[in-house]
Amino acid sequence: LWLAKHFPCNSVVGGNFEEVCPEKVIRFKPPLYKQRYEFVRDLVDRHEPKKIADLGCGDTKLLKLLKIYPCIQLLVGVDINEEKLHSNGHHLSPYLGEFVKPRDLDLTIILYHGSVVERDSRLLGFDLITCIELIEHLDSDDLARFPEVVFGYLSPAMVVISTPNSEFNPLFPTVALRDADHKFEWSRMEFQTWASQVAKCYNYCVEFTGVGTPPAGAEHVGYCTQIGVFTKIGGKAAGSCVSEDHDQHVYKAVYMTSYPSLQQEKVLKFVLVGELLIQVEHLRLRHHRMLRERKRESDPKPRDTDFSLGPDLLLGAVFTEAEKARIENSPEPFCEGDKFCVPLQRLLAYPKLHRLRVDEERMRALIADSVCLSSDSSAVMVDLYNSLDYWPEDS
Amino acid sequence: MSGRARTRARGMLRGSRALEVRGSPGYLAATSVDLGNSEVSLSSRTDSVWQPYEHDAASGDGEHTLMERRVRIRQDLMDLGICTRERLAHVKDCKTGSSGLPVKLVTNLFSLDLPQDWQLYQYHVVYSPDLPSKRLRTALLYGHSELSDRTKAFDGAILFLSQKLDQKVTELTSETQRGETVRMTVTLTNKLVSSSPVCIQFFNIIFKKILKKLSMYQIGRNFYKPSEPVEIPQYKLSVWPGFAVSVSHFESKLLFGADVSYKVLRNETVLEFMTDLCVRTDTSCFPQTCETQLVGLIVLTRYNNKTYRIDDIDWSVKPTHTFQKRDGSEITYTDYYKQQYDITLSDLNQPVLVSLLKRKRNASMEPQAVHLIPELCFLTGLTSQATSDFHLMKAVAEETRLSPLGRQQRLARLADDIQRNQVARFELETWGLHFGSQMSLTGRVVPSEKLIMQDHICQPASAADWSKDIRACKVLSSQSLTTWLILCSSRAENRIEGFLSCLRRVGSTMGFNVGYPKIIKVQENPASFLRAIQQHVDPDVQLVMCILPSNQKNYYDSIKKYLNLDCPVPSQCVLTRTLNKQGMMMSVATKIAMQMTCKLGGELWTVEIPLKSLMVVGISICKDALSKDTLVVGFVASVNPRITRWFSRCILQRTTAEVADCLKVFLTGALNKWYKLNHDLPARIIVYRDGVGDGQLKAVVDYEVPQLLSSVAESSSDSSSCRLSVVVVRKRCTPRFFVETSKTVQNPPLGTVVDSEATRPAWYDFYLISQTTSQGTVSPTYYNVIYDDNVLKPDHMQRLTFKLCHLYYNWQGLISIPAPCQYAHKLTFLVAQSIHKEPSLELANHLFYL
Repeated sequence: LWLAKHFPCNSVVGGNFEEVCPEKVIRFKPPLYKQRYEFVRDLVDRHEPKKIADLGCGDTKLLKLLKIYPCIQLLVGVDINEEKLHSNGHHLSPYLGEFVKPRDLDLTIILYHGSVVERDSRLLGFDLITCIELIEHLDSDDLARFPEVVFGYLSPAMVVISTPNSEFNPLFPTVALRDADHKFEWSRMEFQTWASQVAKCYNYCVEFTGVGTPPAGAEHVGYCTQIGVFTKIGGKAAGSCVSEDHDQHVYKAVYMTSYPSLQQEKVLKFVLVGELLIQVEHLRLRHHRMLRERKRESDPKPRDTDFSLGPDLLLGAVFTEAEKARIENSPEPFCEGDKFCVPLQRLLAYPKLHRLRVDEERMRALIADSVCLSSDSSAVMVDLYNSLDYWPEDS
Repeated sequence: MSGRARTRARGMLRGSRALEVRGSPGYLAATSVDLGNSEVSLSSRTDSVWQPYEHDAASGDGEHTLMERRVRIRQDLMDLGICTRERLAHVKDCKTGSSGLPVKLVTNLFSLDLPQDWQLYQYHVVYSPDLPSKRLRTALLYGHSELSDRTKAFDGAILFLSQKLDQKVTELTSETQRGETVRMTVTLTNKLVSSSPVCIQFFNIIFKKILKKLSMYQIGRNFYKPSEPVEIPQYKLSVWPGFAVSVSHFESKLLFGADVSYKVLRNETVLEFMTDLCVRTDTSCFPQTCETQLVGLIVLTRYNNKTYRIDDIDWSVKPTHTFQKRDGSEITYTDYYKQQYDITLSDLNQPVLVSLLKRKRNASMEPQAVHLIPELCFLTGLTSQATSDFHLMKAVAEETRLSPLGRQQRLARLADDIQRNQVARFELETWGLHFGSQMSLTGRVVPSEKLIMQDHICQPASAADWSKDIRACKVLSSQSLTTWLILCSSRAENRIEGFLSCLRRVGSTMGFNVGYPKIIKVQENPASFLRAIQQHVDPDVQLVMCILPSNQKNYYDSIKKYLNLDCPVPSQCVLTRTLNKQGMMMSVATKIAMQMTCKLGGELWTVEIPLKSLMVVGISICKDALSKDTLVVGFVASVNPRITRWFSRCILQRTTAEVADCLKVFLTGALNKWYKLNHDLPARIIVYRDGVGDGQLKAVVDYEVPQLLSSVAESSSDSSSCRLSVVVVRKRCTPRFFVETSKTVQNPPLGTVVDSEATRPAWYDFYLISQTTSQGTVSPTYYNVIYDDNVLKPDHMQRLTFKLCHLYYNWQGLISIPAPCQYAHKLTFLVAQSIHKEPSLELANHLFYL
């Protein structure tokens, strides 16, 4: 699927930049940078880390892709280029829709200005640290300090490091480093030697892979981008203990944003009331429909009010057997005069409310000032007929 | 997958990369750079992964003709180029009035200062060899030493510089990282002064960028702060505060205007909406009902924060179907959303919504179709059903209504944010712009008006509401009501007697004789009401009153349709609910009595009109509620010198342009009527034209004014000819005005006129505040005199306009626009919402549409 092809075209995707060359070039599909991000996303999918830091986050593109994952609760970007962080931070703020249908768990995103070879205790205790196309930008001094900071000090459960594979370079028309700021580009051997030493030194195990498959006939050069995935042996260390001892805040927080989530009472209330009203209205309409259909049959059959016998819906989520059973086992909606009542227990049986994980008592407290409850507070009560009800068949 | 679906699906992917949906589309040149698009920023923004810039395909051969790539200008900026004032000799030098008391006003406008000799230099850049990638073009150009230190903005072809290059044509060469030499020819194409439309648009883009840096999101044209939602859970609504901002060249300088704006978002997905609709409707007509309800609505997608207009629903496409991605691979919608956004769709049976994106680059090309999943779309704005819900609207108003002080505080905070934000400040400074202070100016308060009643002249305590002042006064004239009907359901029956006695009592006080009606009991459904009307209305019946059990539209519509088209008799609808308001009965009865008086051809009050033979005309245009390509044009003209009697015409016209076609016939009809009543033609005609949208001013000047003129010319004889003035009325305008006192900020007094500084140099224009609001901030009404043979002094034009705001008989107080406009608006609203046909001409001399 991820193949490089020869294209008679005048651009090539190397770094995040497109470069021109006169002859045949290699173009990756999807572009190589996307393949690298995709690789990280796959890891997140599989390991569900809570806290992720992207070192050398640049224009924060990877963070923007990662913020959609429900498992992540803290997302940190670090870069040496403060201006880039300033001008891209706002892309990470929550969308309007994320207030309407919020996440389950809190998410905080922070951008720090600082160098990856400086220690900042706020990056301790992470589940995953990514260094995508970062190390080749470090000069030899920084490169020497890098493992000590990232593996030794920060010591996350997992580290991902990607860097160009220089063996692939001869396939490019011009032989040079892929970016003017690259201090070096390593062969597979060079990278793997360095990585293995680092892993050994800091008690990690490392696996090597890559993205950017070479074209047919050139398989021996390996992936265009080589990747090392480091996993800490013995799992996550108690990094948080360290932070309490020496609070080191050397990075400058440039941008911070918090997402609305169901963990916040105000948000939970808004979602709960909203979903509840949607469900009540839906049940009320179905009740109406049932009454009308019964009226239409000239001889009304004496049968109990059965709300589950609505018309076959064309739309709407289909319930699983378990959900069906839960709904059927809960008390049914009923009418009291011209009021239509839906028991709270019934409402909590519907999946969209069930997933909010509130019990009846909490629910009652949260909705009390937004909806009308029956006299014993066990059901939501609305007018059975609404002056705005409009049945197209009436006209 | 059908071929049609496939084409659409292909559009979808292109669409998902497309940049944004604009609030108000429409551009001048076909092949040109769209400067209005803030996403394709003019400076060094790197393209985002999900919205890659699509390069203009025209750059294939590297040979651009310079004319090919003109900057596209926003429509409202085009209006500014229509210089109507220069043709009006009497206001060429001075368009300001002088009467009235001066009042110091604060505005929502901020000065934007520029160095005196400031210019923007527009260049065109050609690459050799040609490069398709905008990113590479930008990198090479920006990396060149000649340009690296300069302030610049570049869209891939057009380059703006704040400082001129030495040569008109500059040849630059750069080397790519692969060692290839690229030649760039930078040619000066334009020197722009700050008031030029391109510059204005350029400034607007700079501010859009700045607001984005302040963590605001653009929806339509406005910007909203996602972090500060106001939630109204009981109505499933969230309301986002934000700003409508614009940079524009006002009377003497460049100003930044900001107004608080709110976006209503419904906590309901399109799928949830459809599901409920499905329960309401018969399955057979469900798709059709769904389309009528949804098409035209604006939705917001949660995953990428974009807004789209629903243009169609494709029932043949399901989320499990595949579409072709740009790279040619096929993927199902479910997989796509899972992979791209980690979203799992719950309903695999839902259809897809289709949104047509207007092509930015080439308006003549077919629009792109985007497929949207109903489950992932939120409805924005309020439905007509919601807006008719009093309690809901009250809740929304409570959250969104801002006092002048509150508004001023928000503005101050925005200004502060702009001035303090490092990135924002840098962006402005680099172009030589300085964000200055809030502008103050001096307005004038014109004298208040006295009301002329039958035997009494009264000076109301407040022009906002004179219902108390005239309670005991007789109206100017009225017809006795002797033969009339009341239709009501049995539930309302017990209210009728009490109401009737109230009505007769207030009627006799105001000089309106109300006889005893025939009361007909009907069943509670629209068909029974209609049947009863058909049975009982005969030519002698003067008026039909219907006591409606609910405000369901079909009651009102069917009654109005029959009594305005088939059997023209004035009608009065009253809700049962209204009659149940016990303590309010007298004021309810007074309002109804006044409406009935007018519908029968009576006159309520007037003000002193110094011009002795003046006809005033109101024109209003709106879209028909049923068929969106039908325009309803309403025309209302006064037919007596006191300006108390009105003649109306209304027509439905099928067209795409919002320009009235039939004005000549209408005005001629009004002039004939005037002649019949007054045995002469009016010496003067002043036409107030409402409902002119952005970019339509030229059409009004070039197309509507000549129609009116030709009617005037044909009607006039040698001995008498009438002189015409045409005034464009706008209720929506950028400026707001406040009065700052030592302690607080207030609305300006009624009758405040502003005719300097916040006005436009090319127009004969003024602002007038003729309405009050108990809470909230008052908005001024904007008047632009585009044609003026009457040569009234600005003072007189302003005062006359103010007088006309007193003459709307449905409200005992001042209103925001001249009465003829409001009457025309009422007329078009009735036709567009309820009757959808031209009302019977027999009603043309009555205010039947009140």
